[in-house]
Amino acid sequence: MAITGEAKRDTGEAYLDIVWKQFKKNRFALGALWALVPVALIALLAPLLASDQPLIYFDGDQILFPWLLALFNPTERVDFAFNMAMLAFAPWMILAWWLNGRWRRRHVPGRTRALRITGLLVLLVVGTILLFSIPAVRPSNPHSHRAFVEEEFRDPDAWGIYTLIPYGPRDQERGSAYQPPLYRKDASDRQRSSEWFPHLLGTDDIGRDVLARMIYGTRISLTIGFLAVGIYLSIGIIVGALAGYFGGLTDMVISRIIEVILLFPSFFLILTLVAMLGPSIYIIMVVIGLTGWPGIARLIRGEVLKQRGNDYVAAARALGGSHLRVLFRHILPNALAPALVAAPFGVASAIVVEAGLSLLGFGVRLPTPTWGILLRLGSGNYNYWWLIVVPSVAIFFTVTVFNLIGSGLRDAMDPRLRM
Amino acid sequence: MWIYVFRRLVVMIPTLFGVTVVAFCIMQMAPGDPLEAQLDASGTIGETSMTREAYLIMRRDLKLDRPLLLNFRRFHDYTDSIRQAVFFRGQSTDQIQQQLAELAAASDLPENAARLSFLRSLSIANFDQMLDDPQSHRRLSTMITIGVQLYLEDLGIHGVRAAAAVLRDPQTSDQKRIGAIRAMRLMVVEPFQTSFRRDADPANEPHVMKTWQLWWQRAEPDFPQLNDTRRERLAERFQAMLDLESRSEILDMLERFDRSDMRFFVERLLSDSPLEEKVLAAAALNLYVPNPLRLDVPIDATDEMIQQAAENWLAHYELNRELYEPTLDRKLGYLFLDTQYAHMVWRLITFQFGRSATRTREPVGPRIWSAVLVSAPLMIMAQLIIYLVAVPLGILCAVNRSNSIDRSVSLALFVLYSIPPFVAGMMFLLFFCYGIFFNWFPSLGLHSAGSEDMGWGAWLLDYLWHAFLPVVCLSLFSLAAMAMYSRSSMLEVIGQDYVRTARAKGLSETSVILKHGLRNALIPIITLFAGFLPGMLGGSVLIEVIFGIPGMGRLSFDSILSRDFPTLMALIYINAIVVMVSILLTDLLYVVADPRISFHGRGQR
Repeated sequence: MAITGEAKRDTGEAYLDIVWKQFKKNRFALGALWALVPVALIALLAPLLASDQPLIYFDGDQILFPWLLALFNPTERVDFAFNMAMLAFAPWMILAWWLNGRWRRRHVPGRTRALRITGLLVLLVVGTILLFSIPAVRPSNPHSHRAFVEEEFRDPDAWGIYTLIPYGPRDQERGSAYQPPLYRKDASDRQRSSEWFPHLLGTDDIGRDVLARMIYGTRISLTIGFLAVGIYLSIGIIVGALAGYFGGLTDMVISRIIEVILLFPSFFLILTLVAMLGPSIYIIMVVIGLTGWPGIARLIRGEVLKQRGNDYVAAARALGGSHLRVLFRHILPNALAPALVAAPFGVASAIVVEAGLSLLGFGVRLPTPTWGILLRLGSGNYNYWWLIVVPSVAIFFTVTVFNLIGSGLRDAMDPRLRM
Repeated sequence: MWIYVFRRLVVMIPTLFGVTVVAFCIMQMAPGDPLEAQLDASGTIGETSMTREAYLIMRRDLKLDRPLLLNFRRFHDYTDSIRQAVFFRGQSTDQIQQQLAELAAASDLPENAARLSFLRSLSIANFDQMLDDPQSHRRLSTMITIGVQLYLEDLGIHGVRAAAAVLRDPQTSDQKRIGAIRAMRLMVVEPFQTSFRRDADPANEPHVMKTWQLWWQRAEPDFPQLNDTRRERLAERFQAMLDLESRSEILDMLERFDRSDMRFFVERLLSDSPLEEKVLAAAALNLYVPNPLRLDVPIDATDEMIQQAAENWLAHYELNRELYEPTLDRKLGYLFLDTQYAHMVWRLITFQFGRSATRTREPVGPRIWSAVLVSAPLMIMAQLIIYLVAVPLGILCAVNRSNSIDRSVSLALFVLYSIPPFVAGMMFLLFFCYGIFFNWFPSLGLHSAGSEDMGWGAWLLDYLWHAFLPVVCLSLFSLAAMAMYSRSSMLEVIGQDYVRTARAKGLSETSVILKHGLRNALIPIITLFAGFLPGMLGGSVLIEVIFGIPGMGRLSFDSILSRDFPTLMALIYINAIVVMVSILLTDLLYVVADPRISFHGRGQR
C-alpha cells in the first residue's frame, strides 16, 4: 500500500485523493462512516423526531405553529445552533443538488465541487445562526409555557399534529416515573393527548421519555466531542509546530510544559477542573480542550522536526519565505497526518469523558439531556436497567464508530502507523 | 548508566516544579471565599457553618491567609485599620446598627470618615446605598460583622502587633479591649501549646511552660497543698509511668489521677526536671484541665474576664515577640518564603502534607497510604492480566495473519477497545451482581461482612471474588490496546530478515516466534507500561466509585467533592512522582531489553 501511495503521489494526484482511495478499501471504516450519517441526522433532525410541541395546532379558533416557534427559542444554546442548522439544511440540499449539476456540466473537478458545497453548508448554517441570534429577527414564542398536549386532551374542539415521538426531552410526567420500555399509560389514567404513544425506551426518574432524551443527548455528545477536539487540535498543532520548528529555548519550554501536563492523569485533571469551575457543557468542552493539547503538540513537534531538515524547507526559505510562512504553508501540511488521525479517537474519548463526568455528577446540570446523566440516574438503582443499557449502547456505538473511522484513517494516511 | 539516571533525575526537578505550579493554579481557581458568596446571598452565616469550618481549616493549614507570591505584609503598618477593626469587633450587631445611624448622620467628622473608609475597604456590595437607607442597616451591620471577621482572618498574624499595642495601651476603653481580644483570637490560630506534640520537641518547652505558668498564677488558690504521703505516692506512680513504653498504657494510668493532684504535675512541669518528665506532666495537665487559659471573651464580658484574656494575649505576644516584631533580614526572608506558594512547595518537598480538610481532619499521609494499599493490588492484578493475556493474543493474531482467527480476535479486541471501562463496569454490575439477571458477584466493596474472622485461604478467596469484576474492568481497555499493539509490533518483526534467517536455519516455528520474534517485539511493548499507569490511575476513579472500593480513585473523587485541597495536592504530587519514576524505569528497561540502544546521548532528548 505504501508503494502505491508513493507512486501515485509522483503522478501528481492529490494526497487527499489517495487517502480517500485507501480509506474506501477498508470495509469496516467505510461502514463506520456510513453509520455516522444516521447519528448525525438524529442530532440534526432531533425536533422532527421528538417534540412535545405540535407541528400544527388548532385550538378551536385559530391555527398555531408551536413547533416552529419553539425551534427558535430552545432552552439550550446547543439546541439553537442545531435547530438553525436543521432549518438551513433543506435549502442547502436543493442548492447543492442544483449547483453540483451546474458545475459538473462545466467540468469543475469533483474535489473542488465537494469543497465548495461543504463551504456553502458552513456558510448557510453560520448565516442562519447569526441571523436568528438577533433578537429583533428571531420570532418570539408566545406559547412557551402552554401545555398543548393537556389542552388538546381536555378540549374536544382542539386538535394537533405531532412529530413522530410526541415527547420532548424536558417534558416530565411524574405519574409515570421509572417505567420500563414500551410502557404506555392506561387509557383511564391519561391526562394528555400524547400519552397514547408508548415510551419506547421507558422513562426516567420524573417520567421524561428516555428515547427523546437520548435523541437530544446525541446533539450534546457530538457537540462536546467535536468542539473539544477542535479546541485541542488547534492549540496542539500551533504549539507543537512552533516547538518543532524553532527548537532551542522555545522547544525546551514547550516540551517541559507538555511533560508537566502529561504527568497528570487526564481524566483526574479534567474532573478536578470541572469540579472547580462548575457544571456546564461549555466548561467541559473547554477543559477537555485545554487538557488534551499536549499529546497532539508532541506528535506535531516530532513530525515538524522530521520535516525541518528536508530540502524543500531550505528551498522555501531561499525563495524568501518568512519563518511563519514556511512553517504553516510548507511544513505543516506535510506534518498534519498524525494529528488528523488522532482526531476521531479524540472525539470518541471526549464523548466518554463527558459521560463519565456526568455519571459522577460533575457533568451538566440535570434538565439538560445527555447520555451520561441517564447513566447516573441508572447507577442509583440497578432495577431500572434500561437507564443503563440504553445510554451504554449508544455510547458504545458512537465510540466504536469513531474509533473505526480513526483506525481507517490511520491505515489510509500512513501505513507505518498501523497497529 | 548511573550518570544517565542522575541526569534524568536532575531533569525531573524543573518538571516537578512545574507540577507544583499547575497544582497551585488549580488551587487558585477554586471559587474564592465560600463565605463571601453567602454574604452576598443572605448576609448571614447560616447552618452551613460546617463548610465554613472546613474552609477555615483549609485556609490555615494551607496558609491561604498569606499573599500568593510575595509577602509585603511584614513591611506594612496596620495600626490604623486594626484600630477600626477592633472598634467594630468589640460590638454586637445591634451596637453596630446604632453606630451606622450616627455614621450616616455625620459622615464628615474626621473620626467617622476614617471609620467609613475602613468599612468601604471591606468591599461589601452596595455599601453606600445601604448606608443611606436606614431600613437596610440591620442587614448591613451583620455584613460588617462578617466582613471584619474575614478581614482579620485574612490579615492573620500580621495584624497582631497593632492589636497588641491597642491592648497594652492603658487608655483603651473596655469595649476596644474586648474587640482587640476577639480580633487576636481570629488572627492567631493556636496561640498557646498546652502539651508537647507526639515527638517531644525541646523547642516547644518554653511555650508549654508559659501556658501552665499563666494558668497556675490564677488557679493556684483553688488547689490545696498536698500532704507528704500523697505526694510520695504520686511520685511513685509518676516514675512508674515514665518507665512505660506503650502510649495506651500511659493513657490508662493518666486517667486514674484526680484533678486535685494537678499541683504535683505543675510543680514537676515548672521545675528543672528533665524533658520527658515535663512531657508527661503536660500530658496529664492537658487531660484534666481543658482550656486552661481564657483567650476569648463575649461582647458583654466582665472586667475580670477582659483582664485575664488581655494578660494571656500579651503574654503570648511577649513569648513570640520575634515573630511579630521581626528584624529586617527576617522580614526579607518572609517576603519570599512566607507566601502561599512557598509554603505549598515546602509541604510537598518535605512530604509533610498536613491534615485533610474533612470533618475528621485525618492526616493526609496515612489516608493516602491506606488508599494505596487498597488500589495497588488491584492495579498489579490488572497489569498482570494485561500482559499475560494481551501479548499472547497479539502473537496469536500476528502468527495467523489475515485468516479467520486473526480477523475474529482483532474484531473482538476492537470491540473491547471501544467499551469505556465504566460502561463495562455498570453492565457487569447490572447483569452479574444485582440479581436481576444473575447474582454471581458482590456489588460493593472488596470484602464481605465478617471477612476478618475468616482463615487466610477463605479471606483470599473472598477478596478475589470481590476483586474480580473491578480488575476485569480496569484491564479491559488497556488489554485491547496492548494486544493490538503487540500484534502490529510482532507483525513488523516477523517480516524482518533475521526471522527469515532463523527459519532458514531450520528452527522450529515455536522457537522462531518465541526466541527471535518475541524478544524484539517486546521492546516497544515495554514502553507502553509507563503510558498505561497514569491512565489507570485516572480511569480508576470511575471504576472505584462504581464498585465502592475505597482506593486512590475514590479518595481523589472524595477530596474533589469536599474540596479537600491538602489531600488533592498530595495526590497530584505523588501521582506525578510515580509516573515520572515509571517513565524513567521504562526507559531503563528499554535499554536493558535492546542492546542496540545505548545510554549515550539519551539524556538530551
